[in-house]
Amino acid sequence: MAELDSNFVTKTVLPRVLKAAVWGTFTFVMVYYLPLMLIPKDIPQNILPFDYTARLLDFAVISVFFAVVGQLFSGTVIGCGFGIAKALVIIALFFVISEGGVFSITLPISEVTVNLTLDISTILLMIISVNLLSIAKNLFEAISILNEASNRIDLT
Amino acid sequence: MNIAIRMLTITTIILWIVILFFSVTAVYSVMNVGINIGEVQMLPSSKGIIFSLPFSIDNNGYYELADLNLTTRVTDPDGTVLDLTETFVPSIPQGTNVNASHTIPIDLDTIMSMDHVPLLLNDSSFNVEIFAGLNFARTVPVQLSANITMPWGAPFAHFSVGSISVSPYNSTHSEAAIPVSFENHAILDITGTLKLEFYNNSDEPIASGMTAISVPSQQSYADRLLVYTRLHDISKLTGSGNIHMIFENPMFTVEWWEPYG
Repeated sequence: MAELDSNFVTKTVLPRVLKAAVWGTFTFVMVYYLPLMLIPKDIPQNILPFDYTARLLDFAVISVFFAVVGQLFSGTVIGCGFGIAKALVIIALFFVISEGGVFSITLPISEVTVNLTLDISTILLMIISVNLLSIAKNLFEAISILNEASNRIDLT
Repeated sequence: MNIAIRMLTITTIILWIVILFFSVTAVYSVMNVGINIGEVQMLPSSKGIIFSLPFSIDNNGYYELADLNLTTRVTDPDGTVLDLTETFVPSIPQGTNVNASHTIPIDLDTIMSMDHVPLLLNDSSFNVEIFAGLNFARTVPVQLSANITMPWGAPFAHFSVGSISVSPYNSTHSEAAIPVSFENHAILDITGTLKLEFYNNSDEPIASGMTAISVPSQQSYADRLLVYTRLHDISKLTGSGNIHMIFENPMFTVEWWEPYG
């Protein structure tokens, strides 16, 4: 029994944990560190509709969490469930951050108050569409896994 | 099933790359758009004056700026629209520079009509609403609005008529001296003719007269206007009444009523 557990840990759990750690690090670099380096530092904070570093960190935490659990449970129905959850959370996050796709900022410039409205609903729609595709992909994957599992049942 | 899953995975990855690429290049494009606003120029026109605001947009970004629309609406303190002007630039392609100017024509004849007499006699302020909009990369519409209060200097500020003094002029006429004073708070010099028609408290005409005046901007005017009237008309003069003031110059004519006594 102990030998079986040891084999399971070394052949299944350990590679998955290592893969999840690598994916988590890679995701953190891609969605947090790299954008933070690319975004110009001289953007005045008051012209931005939100605190972009805090929101980027929120997005990074969500992405890293789902990247890690996605790798840990890859090839399983639970993994597909996490994939669907990730897509739904990202849709909700972007919807909340972008205030439904229309940003409204009030900028006091000397004695004049300037109201700026930015309509990014097209981009939001693209993000929602991509995540809906991701949900569809995970559903297909779950159906495929369940189908394979049912075909392996030995009726004799 | 596996092919469908693989195709969906590839499509999702490609679309994420497109979104990321667009987002990053859009931020860089916005940073590379140069907007230069020149000094406001005041130009004379046949109907009044034209305020011209030259501006240039240097689009060094990766995307086109389309449907640039700049609208200004000038209203008086009561909310009456005095001017509504729109400047439209259909397209600013990437790598190009567009020079344009937003002109606000001020029709003095309209402003200085009977409907806006308080603006002639009292300093006030105009409300200027600015709306600007453009379509970034034909994908992200951006709108900007601001409110500015512009002070208005009345050309006949603190207009007052003093007590009328009458003295005999000759055997048939009398001379009436009407002290008139005002301050020209307007940005323009006031040059033209000031006509007076004064009426007694029964609205009977007593006399009329005319004088040429020239009051530079931010200067005061104080003078005694002399009018001549027949002896039997001057007998109708009462202690109080109204004076019909008419100011004419080549650009506009204004008239208003001023009580005396």
